[in-house]
Amino acid sequence: MKSSVEVKDPVTEKILDQWMEKPAPFLSVLHAIQDHFGYLPESGLRLVGQRFGIPVSELYGTVTFYHFFSLEPKALPDIRICENSACCLHDLDAICEEIVDKDLGIPHSGKVEKISCPGRCDVPVPILIGETFLHGAQSGAIEKATPATMPLPPEIGLEECLFKDIRNGVSSLEKAVEAGSWQSPKRAADDPEGFISELKSSGLTGRGGAGFPTGVKWEAVRSEVADQKWIVCNADESEVGCFKDRVLMAHTPHALLEGMTCAGLITGAEVGIVYLRWEYPEILESLQTAIDEATAAGYLGVDACGTGKPFQIVIRRGAGAYICGEETSLLNSLEGKHPFPREKPPFPTTHGLFQQPTVVNNVETFCAVPPIIDRGGDWFSQLGLGDQQGTRIFSVSGDIQRPGNYEVPVGTPLRQLLMEFAGGTFEGREIQGVTMAGVSGGLVGAEDLDVRLDPASLNDLGAMLGAGGIVVHDDTRCMIQAARESMHFLAEESCGKCFPCRIGTTRMTEILDELNSGKPVREGLLQEIEDLEEVLAETSACGLGLAAPYITRMLKKYWPQEIQDKIDGSGQALKEGSE
Amino acid sequence: MSTEMKMVIDGAEVSFKEGETVLEVARRQGSFVPTLCYDERLDPYGSCRLCVVEVEGRRLPASSCTLKAEAGMDIRTGSDHIRKMQSTLVEMVLSENPGDECPRCRDIGTCEVHELAEEFEVSRDRFLGAISNASKDDSNPFLLRDYDRCISCYRCVRICDEVEADHAITMTGRGWNKGIATAFDGGLMDSDCTLCGQCIYTCPTGALADKKMVNQGSKPGEIEITRSVCPYCGTGCSINLHSLDGKMIGVTPVLDGPVNEGALCVKGQFGFDFVNSEDRLTRPLIRKNGELTPVSWNEAFDYTAQKLLSVRDDHGPKAFYAIASGRAPGEGSYMLQKFTRAVMNSNQVDNCSRG
Ligand SMILES: Cc1cc2nc3c(=O)[nH]c(=O)nc-3n(C[C@H](O)[C@H](O)[C@H](O)COP(=O)(O)O)c2cc1C
Ligand code: SF4
Ligand code: SF4
Ligand code: SF4
Ligand code: FES
Ligand code: FES
Repeated sequence: MKSSVEVKDPVTEKILDQWMEKPAPFLSVLHAIQDHFGYLPESGLRLVGQRFGIPVSELYGTVTFYHFFSLEPKALPDIRICENSACCLHDLDAICEEIVDKDLGIPHSGKVEKISCPGRCDVPVPILIGETFLHGAQSGAIEKATPATMPLPPEIGLEECLFKDIRNGVSSLEKAVEAGSWQSPKRAADDPEGFISELKSSGLTGRGGAGFPTGVKWEAVRSEVADQKWIVCNADESEVGCFKDRVLMAHTPHALLEGMTCAGLITGAEVGIVYLRWEYPEILESLQTAIDEATAAGYLGVDACGTGKPFQIVIRRGAGAYICGEETSLLNSLEGKHPFPREKPPFPTTHGLFQQPTVVNNVETFCAVPPIIDRGGDWFSQLGLGDQQGTRIFSVSGDIQRPGNYEVPVGTPLRQLLMEFAGGTFEGREIQGVTMAGVSGGLVGAEDLDVRLDPASLNDLGAMLGAGGIVVHDDTRCMIQAARESMHFLAEESCGKCFPCRIGTTRMTEILDELNSGKPVREGLLQEIEDLEEVLAETSACGLGLAAPYITRMLKKYWPQEIQDKIDGSGQALKEGSE
Repeated sequence: MSTEMKMVIDGAEVSFKEGETVLEVARRQGSFVPTLCYDERLDPYGSCRLCVVEVEGRRLPASSCTLKAEAGMDIRTGSDHIRKMQSTLVEMVLSENPGDECPRCRDIGTCEVHELAEEFEVSRDRFLGAISNASKDDSNPFLLRDYDRCISCYRCVRICDEVEADHAITMTGRGWNKGIATAFDGGLMDSDCTLCGQCIYTCPTGALADKKMVNQGSKPGEIEITRSVCPYCGTGCSINLHSLDGKMIGVTPVLDGPVNEGALCVKGQFGFDFVNSEDRLTRPLIRKNGELTPVSWNEAFDYTAQKLLSVRDDHGPKAFYAIASGRAPGEGSYMLQKFTRAVMNSNQVDNCSRG
């Protein structure tokens, strides 16, 4: 149909009228239309295109980018099941087979679709029907998923910052205020310079992966002159093996809102947006409740925290795309553009949301701000071990006794985190290796379990700390398969814009599959891996492709014999076959 | 006023103007920088990463097409390391496409991908695996859409948006499962496409082609190319006429055409069937006793002149109204108005392009 054809759709018109004046309404409009119709009808998209000034073809393409927008009506929802690193340690095929015929208490189509990690790796294997999560353990028992698991109490002598009050019911405003919440925004308004210098001395760096100093980022946006500025909280948390932001938002939402409000008051932004991944529907509700409570109590609104300055916070829901966690891709997603990453520079601090100066920070980063202001930058800084500053949260999953989130001093040895805090592996097994940064930071083998958990120490090994997800693999696992699963995730989630990553992550996955197939492998396979690593690591357009080679480089570093055995074994197969 | 600034490229000091990219400066000074997603008519995009160069002081190579030139920059374009990565990238791109003969290279002219393959002396034999997404069976009469050969540079989408402002096509999906589609994935005829063909001639592969030009049974080197001017309207777009055995088989736009810079409309691009049409008039005819009869030019002129004069004399100048053809050159249009005024004594003169 040509775009000159007139379309009528009163439902969509009404949704548009409701949303258009609100901040960055694009994703909310699409979700509202989908919630109403069960999918995104053509008539609706045409109207959305007209109102947003987006050509309908482009809008169509953008919608197809996301996993959870649907262009076709469906009578019943499909069953979606996580296929990534922590979950595929379980017998996914058996689980799938079992659930298709089972009465799960929720009507479904009986069709099973594999999805990328929905951030519930500590209770594998999550099964999603519509917007309800169930989890099916290896035993076959299927239960309603619990809300984000509360972190275990810290080991004696370990001082926490982010989790300090989390076990005291501080998700309600009343309890949060009792515990001292919502004090820091006044400091931000009264003494912004002092505030920034506390942040700087605390050594707080971004917890979303890139590790940029938070105080410096806020100062940069503060110094920009602009009509409008924005605070964006990156709650897309889509890296496999990462589920720390979920627990923070579930159990200490006011720390997040307070941190964002401070950022607003420091920089002069009047609106904060939480970009929440689609796969956290329960957080959508609870966080909105927290926002409503804080607004009713005057902490948010036209006179935020009595500072005389306005600050409001809204949630915008993603639609299933790991790359939308990359900050510039996230901004494009909010704006309704095709969510490819942008060319950097310019950075969001100068050209962010709608090209205006924007602070983008991770959930954990914002949550760390109020306690830092409360107790002082030096206090936070000295929580780290040795030269390291502060604490950070690690999400531990896989073959481990006590999967979950642990807040530990930066610089804690990996071995201590896994063997002491997380209870070690199961009876009679040993750790063979772990994934890092979630999965995109590569692998660390058992021989280096004493590595300290700080960015530089991991870099020295050739891996990356990233956002602190760790999936443990014990000695019954095949690490080539583990590497394949990590790479497969990146290939599935590559945005496809740049050639090295779009082709490279797919080829790497195919090559690792070939190694694992038991069939003869192609000649020159190792050289192909090396050449792909080179272009990925040096020419990719964003962090996803740039990180991909960590996986194979670390695989080769720790498990060269396993690779050689596969090649030799397959050589054998070739000989046998030809006889 | 644009100020002249200086930077170093491959050891030589070169001047550049504010706003220029490193790619532009490097190419101007003669460095070889391969590209696949670049088209000078489009905004820099940075997707193929072939144009990477080393920048002194930076840890990683940068894509030169998106990198703005800055005073004092020190750039190296062709180190062994860069060349090796470019060569790997070309091999990776080749691996995406089927290995059969490229119809674009055979029937229209070497495509950019295969030109680079030759330059880097590589062929499609490493990194083999899945190939690009399936071609689209599009019933439109002109554009072949064979996305098996697509390398997802999105030049087609961008030229349609940025230059044509037709927004007919878009990129869909993501990662390996990307594609090119119209809104709601219908045929081009049902979309906002004007069939201008611009996407074909920015496409660096055989994914898009002129349906009528491929599979004519030609062999490389047999096709003759003659530069000409489009006969359709007064704009005067430069075109290349492709002919095989003295017969015209197609048109391609001329990128350095002074008025069109590579742009053409649907008529100039695809509307040349009349040249070889059976119905085409090749000599003057006069209807005699109800039959169209071939006559000499002199007879035709005398006949027409006499009829026109009788219109003027019998019915007055107001009975005459001249409409110049948009396809006529300026001189022809001038003659027509002169004739209308001086001979027919009428002021009623117009041009079909005025509507
Ligand atoms: C592929 C990719 C995915 C990312 N995903 C996330 C994410 O889910 N959450 C997040 O906070 N940061 C993510 N980041 C990092 C962001 O780009 C950005 O650096 C971060 O949000 C800044 O906040 P911080 O300084 O508080 O870490 C991702 C980066 C890349 C390259
Ligand atoms: S590196 Fe991958 S995810 Fe990043 S821009 Fe390139 S294709 Fe997209
Ligand atoms: S022919 Fe022209 S209008 Fe149609 S898709 Fe190609 S560039 Fe766009
Ligand atoms: S069809 Fe051609 S121009 Fe379009 S994306 Fe594919 S290769 Fe590029
Ligand atoms: S929930 Fe399956 S890997 Fe995270
Ligand atoms: S030409 Fe620069 S990235 Fe393609």
